[in-house]
Amino acid sequence: MANRKQFIQQSVGAFAGALAIDSIFGRAARAATAVTTPGSTGARSLVVVNLQGGNDGLNTFVPLGDPNYYRLRPTINIPQDQVLRIDSSIGFNPKLAGLKSLFDQHRVAVLQGVHYPNPNLSHFRSTEIWQTGAPDRIIDTGWAGRYLDSPNLPKDNLFKGLAIGPILPKMMVADKTDVPTVDNLKGFGFRNSRDEQAHADKILNGNGNRYPFRSPYLELVQEIERDAHASSLRLPHLVAGYKPGVDYPKTPFAQGLNLAAAVLASDVGTKVIYISLGSFDTHTAQRARQDALLQQFGDGMKAFYADLAAHRIDNRVLTMTFSEFGRRVGENANRGTDHGTAAPMFLIGGGVKGGIYGDHPSLSDLDVGNLKWHTDFRSVYATILERWLGVKSTDVLGSSFRTLNFV
Amino acid sequence: MTPDKQPRAEYRPAGTVDIATALAPYRGPWSAKLAAHLLRRAGFGGSGQEIQTAAAAGMTAAVDRLIHFGPDTLPQAPEVDLSYGKMVDKMQRRKALFGTELWYLNRLLMTPNPLQEKMAYFWSNHFTSAMGQKGITPAMTIGQLALFRRYALGNYAQLTHDVSRDAAMLHYLDGIQNRSQHPNENYARELMELFTMGVGNYSEDDVRESARAFTGFTVNRRTGEFRFVPQLHDDGSKTFLGHTGNFNGDQVVDIIMQQPATGRFMARKFLRAFVYDDPEPALVDAVAGALRSSGYDVGPLMNTLLRSNVFYSDRAYRAIVKSPLEITIGALKTLGATTVGIRTLAALNTMGQVPLRPPNVAGWPGGALWMNQGVFLARLNYLHQLVMFKSPGTGGDPAEMTAMDMPAMKGAGRAMKGMLGDPAGQLAEPSTWVAGASVNDPRSVAQHVLQTVVQGDATAEQQTNILDFLSTDGVGNHVTLSRENFEEKVRGAMSLAMALPSYQLA
Repeated sequence: MANRKQFIQQSVGAFAGALAIDSIFGRAARAATAVTTPGSTGARSLVVVNLQGGNDGLNTFVPLGDPNYYRLRPTINIPQDQVLRIDSSIGFNPKLAGLKSLFDQHRVAVLQGVHYPNPNLSHFRSTEIWQTGAPDRIIDTGWAGRYLDSPNLPKDNLFKGLAIGPILPKMMVADKTDVPTVDNLKGFGFRNSRDEQAHADKILNGNGNRYPFRSPYLELVQEIERDAHASSLRLPHLVAGYKPGVDYPKTPFAQGLNLAAAVLASDVGTKVIYISLGSFDTHTAQRARQDALLQQFGDGMKAFYADLAAHRIDNRVLTMTFSEFGRRVGENANRGTDHGTAAPMFLIGGGVKGGIYGDHPSLSDLDVGNLKWHTDFRSVYATILERWLGVKSTDVLGSSFRTLNFV
Repeated sequence: MTPDKQPRAEYRPAGTVDIATALAPYRGPWSAKLAAHLLRRAGFGGSGQEIQTAAAAGMTAAVDRLIHFGPDTLPQAPEVDLSYGKMVDKMQRRKALFGTELWYLNRLLMTPNPLQEKMAYFWSNHFTSAMGQKGITPAMTIGQLALFRRYALGNYAQLTHDVSRDAAMLHYLDGIQNRSQHPNENYARELMELFTMGVGNYSEDDVRESARAFTGFTVNRRTGEFRFVPQLHDDGSKTFLGHTGNFNGDQVVDIIMQQPATGRFMARKFLRAFVYDDPEPALVDAVAGALRSSGYDVGPLMNTLLRSNVFYSDRAYRAIVKSPLEITIGALKTLGATTVGIRTLAALNTMGQVPLRPPNVAGWPGGALWMNQGVFLARLNYLHQLVMFKSPGTGGDPAEMTAMDMPAMKGAGRAMKGMLGDPAGQLAEPSTWVAGASVNDPRSVAQHVLQTVVQGDATAEQQTNILDFLSTDGVGNHVTLSRENFEEKVRGAMSLAMALPSYQLA
């Protein structure tokens, strides 16, 4: 790969810089002066939905016109009369009525046959590949994290990125940016008795390395404590003015989208939000489990975009779905499917050119039982970076990829 | 596939390790700091008293005490009804799951054999499975934990054989679906990727072939016990890692154990869990050598590691990020608690480590991935609530917990009501946290607080900060420590000390 060396140098340099300068001076300063202005790339944001566990693409976006589909999936297929048809060849899972309604408004682009070279069938590694954007090597930052580190985003905004849930996904791991993880706003803040407050502040804002031991993590713990302290003081205030424009479903996923909408509608300068739904790892009894999850997904997205529209920001929020892999074409003996490869991705939002992109992968010309991909997932990332977020994709992805036309 | 640079999840200590002496017995000075270090690594931390005892005993005796353990008298299973079938009501299922989690947490806290429980925790985060998923019942998880406890310092190769027959594992990675007509690759793949060799040491063909070898390993549906069903086994020839034969699962494990990659993969795991993250390849090779020369007996390896120079070096000291389980159980130990309550379980949910239910087959990754803002908020809030917890009935109602909006804990308060008297666990009297301090002397109290919590590992600035807290009121006026405000002030000072960065590190 021509740009690989350069890429490594850049990221090593950025890493060293992050530790040497930013964490000692920059972060303390940033914590003290969090701003709310959107970055120079405009007011556009990206929401990434991880359909984690390996979502079966064939039962999500159903090739109802292909007899091979019904032949290879005798017990877990979606019968033709249940498919939410787009035309005689393809349509949505019946539980995706919410998503279909957005598709009918030309707000959904379906990218078919997306994956990467030498597909890896391990959940762990394949998730890592999608999240880092690096199929051929192990790197320690996420693709969205590297975007958040880009110089044309404001350095001192604590909420450039936000992960909904308890764990920071690798996608959001950056060299210079600590992405907050928020489960729900109610629990987001330090609880101290008033008597202790000033002293607790001193500990959380503690600086320097004058501890009588050295630890590779000491500085990082201090940074996280400082950032968490600052974020928790600010975020609830920043979103206090938000009122939901719709009733969200009561599912944890939809509640997470509600929090995302609160942050986006409050204009705090958030560029990327991560949220996940799962597990889609349907080795057994696939239909019931996948259908229930897809319903949560479709209904959640419908409410989310209705809310964003009520706040007049549905045109500036792009949602992208991904899953570590699709599933094996032929069903297994347990009315489920095993790990596979290519699957469709959904791009959703008012700024999307709705429609279907790319051919459905062949169900007869398979690679050891798996679909052959034709669109590299980094083309999707490159398109979002270049055309939606307005940055040079090579800075984030290390080399250049063909861009697509969905935005 | 080689990493481009140090993985961000893992931070290696600065400086260099002296490989020649790294595993040789440590003969340097012994202290309360090192005693506390040993108790954190070879267990879940120690109370002030336990740290003092280990400090007084000396390194050899303290390690002996951990390594040579006998049977314990703690309950071998939770005292709740664990039987639930497919049609059970949800409340009964919740009771069984939460009851098992609480039983497990109480074992971690109260065990007389901390190293045995720590090793079982290590194995359960290595050979992962998640209770409540894929038909794994509490009884299966309890059985698996007993296996891990039995093999705490046992033979890793033999444990791998036994895990391949374990009911929870056969459910978790679909072994029970793996039949000659329809091989299921899930277990075969993870066995190589996560349990033995690591990626890059086998091919997709090896995955397919070894999956065939494991066909027929299943459980008796009635008793839940392992059985081998010859009719489901693929009796054909398989080619696996260059060997060809009519292999079964045991032979696959045997071939895996002959691979140098297996020793290195496990050496790295042991070093990460007990010494420090991102260990140098030379150190990994040294430990891999020790492991292979003992035929994968883990007892001799741990005996070497826990007495070694590298273990007591500056490089290893506070070089590991405490997992949520380590921070919660460790804090309960610091505070002299005698039970673990439901509030701890709730906090573990928020911190992203539900006991016995890892998020995926790779287990909890640890290292810097525990370091994010949400998790730290949850940690510090838990520590604060815990240290402020007074007695049952004064703000410790289980119902309060359910208001915390945690999907995983929905209905927990109701399900658990009546099962446990005290939601936060019974803490020791605050005066015992600073035993030996002069009650009227804030300097002495501050020093004892910092000794108990972080063995004095604080900056001068933070020592002054805590002393300030003990000598002033909320608006900065001077106060005198007295019988009247003593308990309140000690609780506050403990809460502040537990928020120190040092306390977040093991």
